[in-house]
Amino acid sequence: MSALRPMGSERWWVWLFLLPTLLGLALGTFGSIFATIGLSFTNWDLLTPPQWAGVDNYADLPAGRMFTKAFWNTLAFSGLYVPLTVVLSLVVAIGLNRRIKGIGWFRVMYFLPAVCSPTATGLLWNWIYAPDNGVLNAAVTAVGVSPVSWLGPRMALYSIVVVNVWGAIGGGMIIFLAGLQAIPKEYFEVTRLDGATAWQRLRFVTLPALAPSLFFQTVLTTINAFQAFDYIYVLTSSGNGNSTMPTLVFSIYRSGFRFFRMGDAAAQAVVLTAMIFALTLVYFRLQKKWGEA
Amino acid sequence: MKLLKATTLALLLTTSCAFADTEITYQFWGSPQEVGVWNSVARAFETEHPGIKVKIEASDWDSYWEKLKVKVAGGTPPDVFAMDAPLYKDWQSRGVLLNLKPYLDKEPGILDGVYPLTLKAYETPDGFYGLPRDFQTIVLYYNKDMFDAAGVAYPNDGWTWEDFRIAAKKLTKDKDGDGKTDQWGFWEAGYDMEPFWGALVWSFGGEVVNPETHKTLISSPQAMAAFQFMSDMWLKDKSMPSEQQLRQYGADGFFAGISAMGVSGHWSVPEYSQVAFKWDIAPLPKGPAGRVTSANSAGFVIAKDSKHPNEAWEFVKYAFGEKGQTELAKIGLAIPVRKSIAERPAYLDQSTKIDHSLYIKALDYAHLKPVFKGYEEWSGAVGDALHMAWTGEMKITDALAEAVANGDEVLARSK
Repeated sequence: MSALRPMGSERWWVWLFLLPTLLGLALGTFGSIFATIGLSFTNWDLLTPPQWAGVDNYADLPAGRMFTKAFWNTLAFSGLYVPLTVVLSLVVAIGLNRRIKGIGWFRVMYFLPAVCSPTATGLLWNWIYAPDNGVLNAAVTAVGVSPVSWLGPRMALYSIVVVNVWGAIGGGMIIFLAGLQAIPKEYFEVTRLDGATAWQRLRFVTLPALAPSLFFQTVLTTINAFQAFDYIYVLTSSGNGNSTMPTLVFSIYRSGFRFFRMGDAAAQAVVLTAMIFALTLVYFRLQKKWGEA
Repeated sequence: MKLLKATTLALLLTTSCAFADTEITYQFWGSPQEVGVWNSVARAFETEHPGIKVKIEASDWDSYWEKLKVKVAGGTPPDVFAMDAPLYKDWQSRGVLLNLKPYLDKEPGILDGVYPLTLKAYETPDGFYGLPRDFQTIVLYYNKDMFDAAGVAYPNDGWTWEDFRIAAKKLTKDKDGDGKTDQWGFWEAGYDMEPFWGALVWSFGGEVVNPETHKTLISSPQAMAAFQFMSDMWLKDKSMPSEQQLRQYGADGFFAGISAMGVSGHWSVPEYSQVAFKWDIAPLPKGPAGRVTSANSAGFVIAKDSKHPNEAWEFVKYAFGEKGQTELAKIGLAIPVRKSIAERPAYLDQSTKIDHSLYIKALDYAHLKPVFKGYEEWSGAVGDALHMAWTGEMKITDALAEAVANGDEVLARSK
């Protein structure tokens, strides 16, 4: 083992080779995070020097119509998207974690959306959801129900959640499949010999063993939920840079890059980050609790 | 030997630098075809002005403004760049544009023969910080094939908005008989005041914002009548496709061949010249307060931080002058700002055979699209609220109340 540890002057070389990455991380990632936090306390229009604004940008957020609408949309979207994605990708992973004929083919099919360009598949969904020539409305009217405006204001949230979940199941499935295959087969054999039901095996063997994957996947899905943009843009964007279902990412982009309000956009971005951070902390707590139980 | 080589190289480099041309950059939003014409303008300019080289850079509308903001904020602005008139004050008021007054003062008569309405957008109390490059007026486009098939008479000079509405209803059809409309009388997106609702409000006798631009006036009884008219066409007559319906066919209902009429500027002509159906143009119909259209322009500005303001000015002067304007007319997207070019074959005789003079005559009854600080945000706030009326989420009266509240909030913040 000790052969892998850098010795003497090698240490310098290690640092030297790590330097570009570390610098990039320090300046690029942390630098922009701190810059965003700093800017959120200023009024900055990009073209003239920033002016100190104290907490004004934050204080004004609750009254901003564009922000509040986007805020609630983002929460509603995440509230549906995260549990659906995690549960469905787990179900698919369990279903595909077996030796049956053509299993590779099934896995590929489920994973395919994850490797397709959201812009291209978004267009496909546009056609599925189209009001007059759409696939879904053709099916709905065939059974005698009147056509639905799938991307209209009433249904857009649900239609968008469906597309995003569809696009995310493949990625989640891979994580869970890897987790499932790491569970020693003996556990299942022993429980089977002891007469455990399928449900008991899932509840007492599979899920506890998958806890790390579940945690990782939930955190990742939450982050994705708050940053979801591409499908929403392709399916709901309206001519003036807004959307039928604007999320915080829309609001941040418009405030900063279209409306010359970088300080305001930075404050919104900080709120978005704080929400993700708070949820991640909650997950950490839950994982600890679960781990101890 | 090595030393000698290095010195020669260094010498060569310094001497070639000393004699190098001054290079200026012109950046604009536009298509590759426009870049081609601009390159020929730049080459012609370079022949007349040895020692100045012009680099032409173009990008699409959205990325253009993003890049520009980043470049200007980063202190490396393009020397000359294109400006959309309504957004001009957003830039001018922030002190990043060069005041052209000293240059214009040295060129008496340079503004003669330029359409006054186009100049008005760039004029400020202390001078011009930009000059119009080309302009647009809005006219009615109609699909002749659809009018013929429906037996409806073509739009003419005498048309009122009421005539327009009746025709639109007659032109709305379910051609394949599946119970769903697949041809509409008219299409419009309905967010920004250009191309449609601004002109409609004006011709109903309403106003959009007050002259001091601190009040949104689109809920006055006159303006309300105009919006009610539009809402009725959309939601009652259903002679306009909803946003969702339009999306099935693309972004432009007239181009897609699903709508018998559309309103647009001259910028649509090159695109529409590719369609398979026959079409023509007519002036916008008259409203209770007469006929009004909307005029807007694109302009040139010079960055205040440009390292070569004199050379940049020479280029603007050339492109704004007769030679430049003649060449630019070839793009076919817009109307030259000089009468001497726009009212001659350079503009009037284009490959698309329509009456191009109609866009110029429209100036007689045109109102200038407002130019004020915060325009884009104001337009976004108003458009977001109106959108809820067009989707049927909100009654038009409520949507207008919200549009005014949102719009005024932006105006107050943009002082």
